[in-house]
Formats: sequence, structure tokens, C-alpha cells
Amino acid sequence: MINRRLIRNFDFYLLLATIALCAAGTFTLYSATHGMEGLPDPLYFVKRQLLFIGVGAALMLLVCFIDYVNFKNWTAYLYVANLILLVLVLVIGEVEKGAMRRIPIGFFDLQPSEIAKVVIIITLACLLAEKEGKLPYFQDLLPALGATALPMVLIFLQPDLGTSLIYLAILLGMLYVAGVQGRHLGLLIGSGLAAAPLFWFFLLEEYQKNRLLAFINPEMDPTGKGWQLLQSIIGIGSGGLLGKGPFNSTQVRLGFLPDHYTDMIFAVFGEEMGYVGAVALLLLYLFLIYRILWIATQAKDQFGALLCCGVAVMFFFQVLVNIGMTISVMPVTGIPLPFMSYGNNALLVNLTSIGLVLNVAMRRHKLQF
Amino acid sequence: MNKPMLRRVRIILIIAIITFIIFAGRLAYLQVVKHDYYWYRAEKNRYTKITLPATRGEIYDSEGRLLVSNRPGFVVSLMDMGEGYDPETVSYLSEILQIDREEIEEAIEGRLYMRYLPLRLKSDITNETIARISEYRWKLKGVNIDIRPIREYRAGSSAAHVLGFLGEGPVDEATRKRWAEEGYQYNEGDLVGQEGVERTWEPFLRGVDGEQLIEINNMGQPINYLECKEPVPGYDLYLTIDLDLQKAAEESLARRVEYIINKEGNKYAGRASAVILDPNSGAILAMANYPSYDLNTFHEKYQELSEDPRRPLVNSAIQASYPIGSTFKMVTATAALEKGVMSDRDIIRCPGVVRLYGDTKTCYRSTAHGSLNFYRALAVSCNIYFYHAGLRAGIDAVAHYAREYGFGSSTGITDLTGESPGVVASREYKAEVTGGEQWYPAETMSAAIGQSYNSITPLQMANYAAMIANGGTHYRPYLVQKAVDSKGQVAYAAEPEPLRQAQISAKTLGIIREGMRAVTRPRGTAYAYFSRLPVTSAGKTGSAEVHGNLPAHSLFVGYAPYENPQIAMAVIVEHGGIGATGAVPIAAEIMEYYFTGKIEGVNETDDQPPAD
Repeated sequence: MINRRLIRNFDFYLLLATIALCAAGTFTLYSATHGMEGLPDPLYFVKRQLLFIGVGAALMLLVCFIDYVNFKNWTAYLYVANLILLVLVLVIGEVEKGAMRRIPIGFFDLQPSEIAKVVIIITLACLLAEKEGKLPYFQDLLPALGATALPMVLIFLQPDLGTSLIYLAILLGMLYVAGVQGRHLGLLIGSGLAAAPLFWFFLLEEYQKNRLLAFINPEMDPTGKGWQLLQSIIGIGSGGLLGKGPFNSTQVRLGFLPDHYTDMIFAVFGEEMGYVGAVALLLLYLFLIYRILWIATQAKDQFGALLCCGVAVMFFFQVLVNIGMTISVMPVTGIPLPFMSYGNNALLVNLTSIGLVLNVAMRRHKLQF
Repeated sequence: MNKPMLRRVRIILIIAIITFIIFAGRLAYLQVVKHDYYWYRAEKNRYTKITLPATRGEIYDSEGRLLVSNRPGFVVSLMDMGEGYDPETVSYLSEILQIDREEIEEAIEGRLYMRYLPLRLKSDITNETIARISEYRWKLKGVNIDIRPIREYRAGSSAAHVLGFLGEGPVDEATRKRWAEEGYQYNEGDLVGQEGVERTWEPFLRGVDGEQLIEINNMGQPINYLECKEPVPGYDLYLTIDLDLQKAAEESLARRVEYIINKEGNKYAGRASAVILDPNSGAILAMANYPSYDLNTFHEKYQELSEDPRRPLVNSAIQASYPIGSTFKMVTATAALEKGVMSDRDIIRCPGVVRLYGDTKTCYRSTAHGSLNFYRALAVSCNIYFYHAGLRAGIDAVAHYAREYGFGSSTGITDLTGESPGVVASREYKAEVTGGEQWYPAETMSAAIGQSYNSITPLQMANYAAMIANGGTHYRPYLVQKAVDSKGQVAYAAEPEPLRQAQISAKTLGIIREGMRAVTRPRGTAYAYFSRLPVTSAGKTGSAEVHGNLPAHSLFVGYAPYENPQIAMAVIVEHGGIGATGAVPIAAEIMEYYFTGKIEGVNETDDQPPAD
């Protein structure tokens, strides 16, 4: 199963970028949480993060061992199993911030909406790969649309706006790479925009509307909805060129930054590491995305290429929305920053996704002598 | 991978690159261009300064008895506990503290950005209010009861005009500037001395506020106590006022005024003042006004006090000036003696009524005093004698010596504000107020007995007595003996400050003193009340006629002991009738108290002719 060629094709650049991001994430998490009150142990979050990096790394390697081509055959099972979990979370899920997102299973809470990201990528890759880069008719899109819409609706019911947006991004990105007709893409986006008022008045929760309003004018109510955004910018801006140094975020230490170890962790990083650190992190993400896309171009088949593109779009979209939110160029949507934000499920899913890409890279068509 | 797909992948990469360039640009804007601004915002988030108020200095009398101190008062304040103000709590507080709900809400609105600071709602609440708040404490959220110093006036209504009170502004620009030069930055809303020594010694009493820098979290809870600048307490003041003497003077004024109103049926008698000086230094030993007010209840009763027609808020001792009648006669005598137009042995005959310069002038009740020298004339307060003396000296000399005795200008007191300079009747003054009318000899006669335009404050009168007693030295009158810092070091000690030496010969002053001595001796106008004093004394009574059909002002100036003066004083009872029965008994009681420590009442001897 494993031979020298596979090992020679193992993409160490991607692995190194992933390790670097995990390391930066763990370090920032330590800085952001070591002083928190009410923790059983100052290293509580760091330890859990490291544990899940370990589990995630194991999953990643495990995924590498199985030729990704096999996933095609398992897609239906994965998809149905994931749907069942998504329904289950609505029935027995734990309520968090007014939404049901988690199923407690022993030492951690399962978040089917996170798992759905990678499942959707595999499903779409499977459905679109058969079209060999051509989607001439609108009905060619229907299976992919349907496959994405089903979990999206279930997640919207939780409700979780941010995550369902990721699915949408993955869908659009993969459709684009798979060769969707320009007019079909336009039609999709156009009808989405047309439905926006419908969303605003019937589907968006009050807190989601408030977040969008706060994005438009964060100073509008500095004690309420805009608070988080304002404090995030104050933190980043006060970091300056070189930052205040590790563990020196006053915004975190004095509690001015809510969600500082999850959605807002980039603000902590920016305050402590400054412009130089923040740009370095951006470059690291850019390299990660570049490397995944490069592997996509080297893939031996459409399925592998689409898998990689889906993963790249997923990471890109999350980085775009999360960092965009902390520097106030995007609305607050509650999307975590890959490898940086604390989150057990996200870490497992992100590392598994990297595993898939590594898998594609290992089994690419390249003559090796 | 086919070509078109490769192109699309590249486009995705390009989009990512563009996005990241935009982000890097935005970060450069936030972290490099606007860094200073956000740094400041983060620091402002972080720190708060709390003022540590300096303890205001206490005020003591000359014997070290506490007159003004600070006592702990309870202050109710409301704090935002991070979830906004609780409307139910506001309702309860509005009811308990009897403040309009709207008023509290307005105060809250105004402080949206200062929410970590407690909002002070009411100062100096009563024990019952504290009890009510405690009763409701499980319903009240974010309510604090803090202890803050409140000014306490141990002497009640004693020396109210001298001590003064605190209030919030308004402070004029000049005062603000002067304070700034003295190192005290006045802030709007600060409690500052408004009157008396509280006002004039404000920068010294106030001390210097300290500052505590505190690092706070998002809830406004203190996390770290950083730099602390300790407050420097204000200086304690030791006054020249002797509380016992002050009280004796105040009680004596009140007793006599009530006697005049109730027993003599003179309902016009009203305000009265007494000023007692140390003639050898200018120290003010007592400065009493009737009516006065209680500083402890001043703020509640302000409306009532300010509308009282007897004007209890005015410090008449320095702010009011009066014609001083016969107490002026020493000035006239000084002028005649110094000019050499009259000697103390010259005899003038008093027929009781004279007709001079077309005016009919009389002595009190047209009494014919017969032939008099200066001593007898002053002892019985013969008007006709002093008309002649005044006419011989001339108005210019009389006015000149009035000024030599300190009339017509400030006494130089700086420990109180609002002193009236008074007026000296003179040719020039008349010309000024009448638009150039000339002076008539008949007016000289009026001026010679302290009428006409003459208008003198009680402090000026006391200073006049002191100058006669001490040989003509005008000392600056003062109230603050010393200021002591919180470590007990004397930061300021008053020295007698001779402002001026009157250009009057020692011989003349000796004659004047001897004349005043006769006033308190048998057959003198003040003898009736002064006969029982254990010490020798000298003085002069006066009844100043006033416009309209009102009783005369009753006056007395004097000093004691005669040989070795320790106190000099002036007493006036507005519309109190003749001096001998209004001001004299008060002066005698004050002197009796000063020298014996008690007032037994002075027997009135009935064999004296009534005189002014």
C-alpha cells in the first residue's frame, strides 16, 4: 500500500505549513487563555488543543494511507451518515448561544456541521468529477445544488448562519472550478441576492441582524453590538508594527475582547505580534492555499483536483471572513480561523482535509525515476 | 488537469492573493497609520484615575478649640454592574432619596461613557435613609454607600460670617487664574469656600488632591493599583477669634436687641455688630453680627435667609457703613488740637441751644451743659462744644484727620472679602456727589459730630479705637493667627503688620485718651454701665441720627484697660436709640466678659443725666 513513490510524493511543504499554523495557533491560544479565571488549569485550552492536534494528525495520516479514489465509493454512506447526525443535533443537541450545534459524546462535543464541510467537499467532488470539467446545462448542476442544500437547510435550522455560508462558498468555488457556465453562476448568485430580503425578514435571527448592522457602523453603539468589533480593531491597531509581545495583550487580559480565544483570536495575534506578525500569518495562509491549489493542478484525476479545490476554497473563505471580521472589512459571522481558533471539531476536520490533499499529492501522476 | 480548469484554479489563487493584499493594506492602516490612535484607545480602556480628595483643613479658635471640622457623611451612589442600570433600583432610590426619577435617569444618560464610575446621587444622607436602603438591599443593584467628609460647624451660628461656607462655584475667571498661580486647579463642581476665611484661605485649606491610577477591566473592576500620588491635607487654621468672647459678644448683642425691642418698645432696632481688636496687633478677637445664621443648616435654609429683611447673610461688621454720631468727636478734637486752634483747657459755654450760620443747633434734649473744657465736653458729649471745635479747625482738617484714623478707605483686612471703604465727609466728596456744590460751614458742624456724609464700618470704628489706644498705629486687621500643616509644622504665622502711623502728635492722642477716660467715669455718658468693670476703661458713646423718622443708631467705641490697652472695640445697634442705653451695655458686658470671664450684668446707676 505504501511504497517509495508515495513517500517521495508526500508534500512536506503543505505539512510544514500546517504544522506552522498549528504551532502559531497553539501559542496564541496559550497567550489568550493562560490568565483566564475559572479554569481548572491555566493550560486547559492548550492541552485540549494539543490533544486534538494529535488526534487530528492521526486522522490525517490515516486518510493518507487509503487511496482517495476509494472515497468515491463511500460518498453515499458518508453523506447519509452526516445527514443523520445533522438531524440528531436538532433533536438532542446542546444549546449554545441560542443555537443547537453540539452532540456531547464523552470527552468532547461532536459538531456535525463542522464534519459536514469535508463531507460536502467529497460529495461535490464525486458528483462533479463525472462531468469532466463540462457543465453545459443547468440541470447538470442540480445534483450538486441539492446535495449542498440539504445539509444547509438542516444547519440553518440550528440556526448557524456562518457555517452554512461556508457550504455555499464551497459549492460556488467547486462549481466554478468544475466548469459551470458563467450565466448559470450568475443566475445562482442573482437568485441568491433576490432572496436576501426574504432572509432578512423571515430567516435571520435578531442577533444576526444586529451583527450585520454593527458591521456597517461599529461606533453606533460602543457598549452593545459594535463593542466586539471596536475592541478587536483597538486591539489590532494598538499592536503597531511589532506588537506588544507575547502574553501582553491588554485587551485580553482586561476582558475587553469577547471570544478572544475562538472567533477573535486574530485580534489577539495582531495585538501581540504586530503588523509584521499579522502579515507573516497572512503569508502562511496564502502559502497553504497556494500549495493546495498547486496539488490540485497536479492531481491524477478530476476527483482529486476537485477535492483539493474544495479544501482550498474552504480555508480561503474562512480566513477571508474571519480575519475580515476582526479588521472590520467583513460582517461578524462567527466563523473560526482555521488552525488558530480554539475548536475541537474544526481542528479535526481541518487536519482531515489536509490529509485528503496530502493523499491526492501522494498519488498524483508524475513520472518518478 | 485540462487547460480551462487550470486557468480557473489560477483565478481562484489570484483572488486569494488580491484578498490578502487588501488585508495587508488594511492592517497597515490600522497598525501603522492609525497606531497612535488605537494605542491611546487601548490605554484609555485600560486605566482610570481616581481622585483621592485631600482632607480640608480644620479651623480652630485662638485657644485651639475646634470651630470647623470634617465629619464622615454618607453618600449614595449608583454603579452600572455591567448590565446597564437596573430600572427597578432607580425607582426604589428615587423614592427613598426623594429625587425625581427623571433626574436620576438624566444623570445616567449623561454618563454613558463613564459607566465604571459610581454616579453620586445624594450626599450626607440620614441614618433613616441608610436604614431604608439596607432594608431594600436585596432589591437594589449596584447601589453603594460611601463615606465622604462633610464640613461640620462646631460653633453653630457663632462666627458664621467670619468662617464662611462652601459651595459650588460660580468662580470668576480672575479668581480661577489666581488659584492656578497658587497651584490649585479649580474644576467645575468643586466645593470651594464662598465667604469668610473659607473663601480667602481656600487654596491653603483645600490641600492638594491625590490621584490613584487604576488598571481596570471591562466591568470597571480594579485589577491593579498602580502609581499613587498621596493627597496632601489642607492646612489647619488657627484664628485670632476667641470663641468664648465671640459667643459672649453675640449673646450680648442678641440679648440687648431683644431688650430694646421688647422692653423699650423700639420695634425698629434690628441689626447689630460688635468688633473687638487687639490694639497692639490688629488681631480680631471677635467679630459678631446680629442676626446671624447656623452654618450647619445654611444650605437648607438659604432661601429663607436670603429673603429675611434683617439680612442675616451680610457681615455688617465690614460690609455696612454708618454715620457714627458722637463717636466721631475725637476726630474733630484731634483736628482742632493738631491745628492749634483750640487747647484742651479752652472753655466753651454750652447754652443748650445755639444759632450758628442760620441753623439752630442743640445738645441732646437741649441740655445746657454750661462752661466746659475738652474733657468735660467729651464726657457729657456736648454737641455745641464740638460744633465750635469743628468750625475752628475747618472741614478740611476734620476730613484729613478722619482719614488719618483710617476712615474712608479699606482697613487692609485680607482675611475677609467685601469690605466697604465707607465715606469721609469732605468738601471734595460733596462736590463729587452733588456735581460741584460748595461746602457750607453748617455742614462742617454736622460733620464734626459724625453726621453729614460720614459713613464708617464697625471694623473701621474698632480700628479707630485701637489707633487712639496704641498711639496712632494702624495695624492690618487679621483673623488667621497661624496655619499648620498636617505634620504639625507651622506653615504660616501672622505677624502684626503696621500699615501706617497716623500723623498725630503723642500729646494730642494723650488728650484724646484722657477725654475718653472721662466718658466711663462718674458723670460720663458711659459710666452707668462701665462703673462696675474691674479694669479702667475709655470710650465714647454715640447716637447717629438717620434719615426718616427712625430711631438713631446706637454706637460705642472704646478700649481697656486705660493704662495698658488690651482690647479695642466698636459696637453698633442699628436704630437702637441713644448710645448710652443701646451699644454701651453691650460693650460693657463684652469687656466684663473679657476681663472676668463672666457677665453678671452691670448695675445701672440712676443718678446720671441721660446723654448720648
